[in-house]
Amino acid sequence: MRPESIAWERAAAVRAAADGWRRAEAIGAPTHEAIRNAYSDPCITPSAVWRALTAVMVTAVVLCTFGAFALAIRPREIGLGLLLWLFGAACVVATELLEVSPRFARRGAAGAAAFWGILLFVGGLGLLLREILAIPGEDALRLFLLTGALTWAAACWRWGSPLFAGLSVASFFVLLAQMPFGRVLWIVVGVVLAGVAARCLDDGALAPSHRRAAMVVLLAAVAAIYVALNIYSLDHHLLQTLRPSAPQRVVPSVIVFAGAAAATAVLPIAVLAWGWRSRRTALLDAGIVLVALSLVTLRYYVHLAPLWAVLLVSGAALVALALAVERALRRVPDGEQAGFTTEALFSDDRGQKVLQVVAVAGTFTPAAAAAAPAERSFVPGGGASGGAGASGKF
Amino acid sequence: MNPDVVAGIARLRREGILSTEQAALFSRVARRELVSIRVEIRGLLYLGVLLLTSGVGIFVVEHHADIGRSAIAGSIAVASAACLAWVIRTAPPFSWDGVESPNVAFDYVLLLGLLLFASDLAYVEAQFTLLGPRWVHHLLVVASLYVIAAYRWDSRVMLSLGLSTLAAWRGVSVSEMARSLEAGDAGELRVNAVVLGLLYVIAAVLSIRLDRKAHFEEIFGNAGLLFLFGGLVSGVVLSELGWGIWLVALLVVAAVVMWIASRVGRPAYFAEAVLAAYAGLVRLLVASFGDQSTGVPLLLAALLGVGALVLVFAAYRRMPGR
Repeated sequence: MRPESIAWERAAAVRAAADGWRRAEAIGAPTHEAIRNAYSDPCITPSAVWRALTAVMVTAVVLCTFGAFALAIRPREIGLGLLLWLFGAACVVATELLEVSPRFARRGAAGAAAFWGILLFVGGLGLLLREILAIPGEDALRLFLLTGALTWAAACWRWGSPLFAGLSVASFFVLLAQMPFGRVLWIVVGVVLAGVAARCLDDGALAPSHRRAAMVVLLAAVAAIYVALNIYSLDHHLLQTLRPSAPQRVVPSVIVFAGAAAATAVLPIAVLAWGWRSRRTALLDAGIVLVALSLVTLRYYVHLAPLWAVLLVSGAALVALALAVERALRRVPDGEQAGFTTEALFSDDRGQKVLQVVAVAGTFTPAAAAAAPAERSFVPGGGASGGAGASGKF
Repeated sequence: MNPDVVAGIARLRREGILSTEQAALFSRVARRELVSIRVEIRGLLYLGVLLLTSGVGIFVVEHHADIGRSAIAGSIAVASAACLAWVIRTAPPFSWDGVESPNVAFDYVLLLGLLLFASDLAYVEAQFTLLGPRWVHHLLVVASLYVIAAYRWDSRVMLSLGLSTLAAWRGVSVSEMARSLEAGDAGELRVNAVVLGLLYVIAAVLSIRLDRKAHFEEIFGNAGLLFLFGGLVSGVVLSELGWGIWLVALLVVAAVVMWIASRVGRPAYFAEAVLAAYAGLVRLLVASFGDQSTGVPLLLAALLGVGALVLVFAAYRRMPGR
């Protein structure tokens, strides 16, 4: 990243914290103003809605322009690949120009242009590799994935987008799945990446967006380790599906299965414990998701009870757990226990409320009446996930 | 830890901008010595309610013959009543202003109670045919209850669920807007979407004007514009005949919404209007050129996108409280 961009990001981080303090009325208006003056940020930073709208329109401009040229020229595959590269290069140049301007660096346009620049480049490479007959299909795929991983990583390093870090890691793990002993490589590389990323999370020498990228890498690495170790993934050869031309699948031994079963149980607990000890909510969230996945895996192999009973018991347990934690934290002095609290602190929870509304309306709304079958029917609790809907025969 | 904020707090303390107490508290949060798990608790509650209602549903479907209709209806009613009794006991007094929830769980216990009630109503209707051929109207009853509960207990979650259930009653699905507007009588569904959208937008305006739960305006407004633009865009894009009239209506409504959104400072409304107008104008470009293979319509669509970007930047500069 450019030194100016890093400096702008650091100032923006302090200003964002000060906005939170002001929102919580922990500081007065004059103090807030003094902090903003001490940490001046020349960048215009619109809200997420503005940035998303700008990114969508930039996407429309890039794709429509590319489509218009492709239709006008009608190139063959190599020509199309070169055209993709040309447009990718144009997007990269546009990103560089936008990034140096405080007026445009954080408005969504630079991020969208960078994304399409890399994607068009990688797409062009894919087309060219298909046309170069000297490179066999599997090697071409590996070269494509390796270039993709490196290009996304370079883009993340240059422009600081955590999304690019995620795409880089995803490409890299798909590449590893193409190798012999892919599952072992996923575990080993996942552990190494998680270790390196964890060290970067609090490294003040890195730019704030690079630290966020490190968190994305850490979560992706944990996910990869879990997928490689999960017994269902082992049983159903999930990783091998990423390598269509893999040699004949070998049924793992009982010891390997037992190890995978133990790892499926232990890894989520380990991630939860790590999140609890380090007080990193992203790791706590990842641990909760992994626990849920492991319970689903357990239910798949061991039929402890009918599905309805499992759902009722686990639902009630989750609600009870949440209420117990909330009550415990509310009742202790200062509402704080072991460094955790249910207070919003200085975060802006408007975005969370929007997510809450969207999630509830999206999952509990009943099926539309006109789309439902004409006969009388019943769906409990909500829409697809349960509600007073009107679909599904009873 | 956020090292930039930690360093910033130390500097602000040195320069006397922050007091010692302020710096100590802010520094604890920045160093992750104090962390909020409010989001995680909400997530667990949401997941719990989802699993519980799904479990109840599967149980009813699998065991209604063994247990008996009345026993099932009665037990769901008891569970629903228990949740709602807790809500009534815990709830703060009613106010037309925003009311802070007494705790993080409040919204979710209310949601669970009303979802169970809705399940019970659907089950009773399916088994005892109270509404006869007009059975679909039980969705109206449920939606009304959700909206009333939203006002009584100041719940954005229940209001959004109420509005989407009301739309489902009229045959319009929020999550599958495009598909639901193609299903059945598409023309009637489009009109339903537009009328519902207008009603919700009017409700948004009234919330502010009458200062009655003014903070519900965003829910009404966004849901209303989603349905209104969804109906209009589907008329432009999907209808074979008369799409020009839909386009004129879409452009007029989008222009009005953009103008009002720019004046009152609502970026989400502005964004919805820009995207809807763009979709409509792209349809016009595609229809205006008989030969799609020249690439001219796409080039014009790109230029239109550039124009939209200019409009977005200009509106951002002028929008109050952006």
